[in-house]
Amino acid sequence: MGLSGWLMRWASVRPLVVTGVYGTRTRLLVEAEMARRGWAVALSPGEANLVVVCGVPGEGLAQAIRVVWEEVAGPRALVELLSDATPDVVVAALDGAVVALADEPGQRRAAAEREPPSWPMDHGMDHGGMGHGGHEHHMGSPGGVAMADRGPDRDGLKLDRLHVPLGPVLADWPSGLVVETVLQGDVIQQATVHVVGGVAGGVSFWDEPWVAALEGRPVTRGEAERRRAASHLDSIGRLLAVAGWPSAAMEARWLRDRTLAGESRADLSRDHARFARRVRRSKILAWMLRGVGTSAGPGASPEEDVLSRLRRWLDRTGDAMSALDDTTPLVGDDGPRGPVGERPSAAALAVLPRLLDGAELAAARLIVAGLDPDLDQLAQEPLHAV
Amino acid sequence: MQAFLAVLGLVALVVVGAAGVYAVSLVVAPRGTLRVGPYLSGGRPREHALSRFHVRWYAVTLVFLAFDMEMIFMYPWALVVAEVGGVALVEMFAFLGLLMVGVVYAWREGAFRWV
Amino acid sequence: MPSEVLGLAAALAALVWGAAALDARLGASPQSRLVGGGVARPWREAARLLVQQRRRTLLPDVLLTRIGVLTLLLAPVLAATVLPLGGAPVADLDVGVVWFNAMEVCVWAALWLIGWGANSVYPLIGAYRYVAQGLAYELPHMFALITVAVGAGSLRMTDIVQAQHGLWYAVRMPVAFLVYLVSALAMAFWGPMGQPLGRDLAGGVPAELSGADRLLFLAGRYAVLVVVAAAAVPLFLGGGAGPLLPAWAWTLVKTVAVLVLLVVARHRLPAVRMDRFMGFSWLVLIPLTLAQLLVVGIVVLP
Repeated sequence: MGLSGWLMRWASVRPLVVTGVYGTRTRLLVEAEMARRGWAVALSPGEANLVVVCGVPGEGLAQAIRVVWEEVAGPRALVELLSDATPDVVVAALDGAVVALADEPGQRRAAAEREPPSWPMDHGMDHGGMGHGGHEHHMGSPGGVAMADRGPDRDGLKLDRLHVPLGPVLADWPSGLVVETVLQGDVIQQATVHVVGGVAGGVSFWDEPWVAALEGRPVTRGEAERRRAASHLDSIGRLLAVAGWPSAAMEARWLRDRTLAGESRADLSRDHARFARRVRRSKILAWMLRGVGTSAGPGASPEEDVLSRLRRWLDRTGDAMSALDDTTPLVGDDGPRGPVGERPSAAALAVLPRLLDGAELAAARLIVAGLDPDLDQLAQEPLHAV
Repeated sequence: MQAFLAVLGLVALVVVGAAGVYAVSLVVAPRGTLRVGPYLSGGRPREHALSRFHVRWYAVTLVFLAFDMEMIFMYPWALVVAEVGGVALVEMFAFLGLLMVGVVYAWREGAFRWV
Repeated sequence: MPSEVLGLAAALAALVWGAAALDARLGASPQSRLVGGGVARPWREAARLLVQQRRRTLLPDVLLTRIGVLTLLLAPVLAATVLPLGGAPVADLDVGVVWFNAMEVCVWAALWLIGWGANSVYPLIGAYRYVAQGLAYELPHMFALITVAVGAGSLRMTDIVQAQHGLWYAVRMPVAFLVYLVSALAMAFWGPMGQPLGRDLAGGVPAELSGADRLLFLAGRYAVLVVVAAAAVPLFLGGGAGPLLPAWAWTLVKTVAVLVLLVVARHRLPAVRMDRFMGFSWLVLIPLTLAQLLVVGIVVLP
């Protein structure tokens, strides 16, 4: 099996990154290290051969990770990193994953010893393996799963409905968020929002400087603005990725990583200005984002669409970058998502179901990315936790 | 005839190549077939994904069909338009003009917009 | 004849790898690009997929998936048989343009079958996205092809190349050329028109494919991209015409140029959603291509 071992050593690594609550700092380290290594992320378990878990997941998230891990075909590797992982720990863990993926005897053994997945229970497809069988043997619920049932539709039709959860294990998605949707085609008929919690008792990575200042610890304004700029760039990267502009998303994330790495104000401001100009000038992007995410309800303002939110992030990042060298003490509690004490992300989650009702899946992803709630802000309260 | 043999050869080459990839994969990959659920962000499906899809661009498919039929006539027309001359051009564009009236009507009815 | 068949197959394979390598290079992170990351990625990706264990979702239609994957490979190769690579094409059909058009539409079926076969919601939605995309791009695309046929008075690719000596159709019918490039992106579900494989759909149509299936899918999608780029050369860029170099070299140079343009477009432009593009296509692109057709039609009148 020389060829097999050689191919395994030569094979690329496609990680699926999962973030638990309070795992943001680790996620950023992992993403920066993956970018340095030139690893492209996987978007689904079918595409992945590595699963990276950042932070300690709570029970709901751990269950979702178990399901996804079962769906990854071997050769595969799993890396679990704590919320306080250092860059060295991240590098070592990813190196370890590379070694594990190249270990041909180990991978073969693991594949052979792999327990049959806990689900699907019914393996009715063993005969022939060529498709058409199966269905007729289980009237009503082939394979132990029901066929889609019909429900009334917003246009007065009766159509098949699918129950599709978005999150918690989903690329470019706020960590810990789950939106349970009822889909007809790709239209969301109904959306309910809940949060799969992590281990409680931390502070949101993005809010840290402001929380520290409120608790009386000395924080400079420059430090806080650096965090603010990185936070907005993280949100921008996510939105651009969902909007289908991967190269611009990559640029945003590169700027974010450089901001967090402490690069100088002059370099960052210059490169951000160029990046912001590129994004603002894109007529196609403006055409696609305009009018998405405006709520039809009373008091809705037409300028609050995803496009205006993106532009506001770009502006605020620019403002924050011009204040990177400010050494005056930080005053106020106005974090990247608003006053940190008021947990603005809770308000964002509250409006989410109304915004998603009747939205197309593509628009729904843009709406969520446009709000980009930080669930670490609300993990302190067990209210939503499952 | 020779051309068709060549095309057939090309098809055979692609099929053999694809079969070769499956064969190599069979040899070098770990044995067995992994059975998994469909990817649902870490959830289990409550129903099969295959269902009657809500095709909201249904109206567009009908307008498309009307136009697409017409395109079949345009291929032979393209060959003779230079010979037949102005009459062919006028007739075809009168026909296309009528179809465009239909398109504008469909647009006014909102067929190309859906949310 | 065998030499032409092998030549075409080798050229397609080389260009598929080239396009994948360039795409990986442009898509590599800036940090890894500094150390030469990207170019080897197609090979490493192929290695990973070859050693991956077979994987099957709950009650899939494996036969349909396999038919889809094979169609995605065969359709571009068959479409390429009518393209002159310097000399005569592998099959110099007198309805070459129609053949090319017919083969390219088979990609609709291929993608839809793959999306349906997995019995998973993201591939299914991606498949329907591609059908909607087809409804938007296909008519402007066909009008662009017919404009070329009217200009040359023939549907045979070699005649079309002959008719362009002196002035390329890219210059004589610029609107048709631009519309062709847009529709090339759309039929190859590439870059700005890549939403059937969207990141918001966890990868869309191939989301559940792994191992050899995914490897062949990726080969097929790059083959589609290569062939739509290669078809632009006889249709709009004068085929093998050019000074000094032999015809096959000019064909190759022009094909690579169009291919690079398409790959770069992926990294310059954001994605287009069909709910917004559909109206634009029917109300702007179709009238524009019709106007172009009318102008060319008047010019060719005796």
